[in-house]
Amino acid sequence: MAERLLTFDIFRYNPATPEIPPRMQEFQLEETVGMSLFIALNRIREEQDPSLMFDFVCRAAVCGSCGMLINGRPGLACKTLTQDLGEKITLMPLPVFKLVGDLSVDTGVWFRYLNVRTEAWIHTDQVFDPKGLEERMDNPTAHRIYEAERCIECGCCIGACATANMREDFIGAAFLNRIARFLIDPRDERPAAHIFEVVGTDEGVFGCIGLMACDDLCPMEIPLQGQLAYVRRKMALVALRGK
Amino acid sequence: MILQKTLAKSPRLEAWMELLELASGLFLLGFLQFHLFNVSSIILGPAYFDHDHNWMVYTGIPLVVLAIGVHGVVAMRKAPWQFQEARIFLQHSKRLAHLDTWAWLVQIITGFLVLILAAIHIFSVLHNWPIEAVKSTARVQGGYFSFLMLLLLVAEIHAMVGLYRIMVKWSWYKRQKFTPYLVYSTMFFVGLGFITLLVFYFRSLPKGLS
Repeated sequence: MAERLLTFDIFRYNPATPEIPPRMQEFQLEETVGMSLFIALNRIREEQDPSLMFDFVCRAAVCGSCGMLINGRPGLACKTLTQDLGEKITLMPLPVFKLVGDLSVDTGVWFRYLNVRTEAWIHTDQVFDPKGLEERMDNPTAHRIYEAERCIECGCCIGACATANMREDFIGAAFLNRIARFLIDPRDERPAAHIFEVVGTDEGVFGCIGLMACDDLCPMEIPLQGQLAYVRRKMALVALRGK
Repeated sequence: MILQKTLAKSPRLEAWMELLELASGLFLLGFLQFHLFNVSSIILGPAYFDHDHNWMVYTGIPLVVLAIGVHGVVAMRKAPWQFQEARIFLQHSKRLAHLDTWAWLVQIITGFLVLILAAIHIFSVLHNWPIEAVKSTARVQGGYFSFLMLLLLVAEIHAMVGLYRIMVKWSWYKRQKFTPYLVYSTMFFVGLGFITLLVFYFRSLPKGLS
């Protein structure tokens, strides 16, 4: 492989030093075989600028903390290889989320708030019996739940969403996917009408204009078009039935 | 809780707005293609064009005008009206370089154009009532050719991108599967409209009407 000299154009801003305005800063780095953005950013921090802020934990597309705008598109830095990009690479933090500094954003508060607001847990009156036999679930249902559960909450679908960018209170694909998971789950005894109050709104599924950037850019390739359509049909049925 | 937001919140109304947008959009899509097929009967000859369709027109035109109004209002409710919203949307679209995201801007622009052009079109037809092959021919040859071609293009693009969006939002099918069929259908309808306009343009008119 011919060695390339990569130029990284990286967004810099530290809210702790507001006197230094947001800016783009260039770094140059020689490409190595199989280099991911994770490796590149760590080398820049170690060799060129120890103040560069970015998030990483797992390096394996599991933790969802390294979501950022790579050449303008949301993606996971650990999963993106420099060989798939040009010689000039622009990196910016994910929009919508609160900036911690440089490429690091706080997705935690956002997801936590929506988890509480949509009550993203099983609602049941059944008392758990730790000694009893586990209730069986048919395989297709389990698979559908698992499909939604693969979400790693990296926030790429939110950063890619025009509605979420324009409207702060829009719950976005990550949460509509989460809602789909509970609508599918037979253990959740909540009636759809209960979920409708939060999700059948312009902040919920009816705020979605179907631009499908979430579906195209989800690093986990969750079929978000189908998940969103499922929630939309369910919520429309509640509106039509009037209960 | 924030008082004014909580009081104004109505999930049911917001859901009904979305359903109204869907229903009026589907109705207008059906009307557009039905209208196009009817007008294209000129290809077969004026005898096919000049039949008594007044009953249809007298109920149809008010319904279509109403549907355009309703669809315009409910569809516009999500448009980026505020200057800052519009800038966010444009900057976001540029960064993302994502065809589906740009398609929304196409929808907003073609939607506005349809509102203006359709109003002129309906007025010019009503002004010279009733619809007859001779009058339509005179209209197309009298300077309306490019106007009608533009209306055909923006209406078909708006309708078919709208249908795509409806199928993305409501259907069970993956968009990669149905997109080619929608592109072929759009080409068919625009082609049919173009041929229809050409037939009007090159028909010979009785003297005194050209």
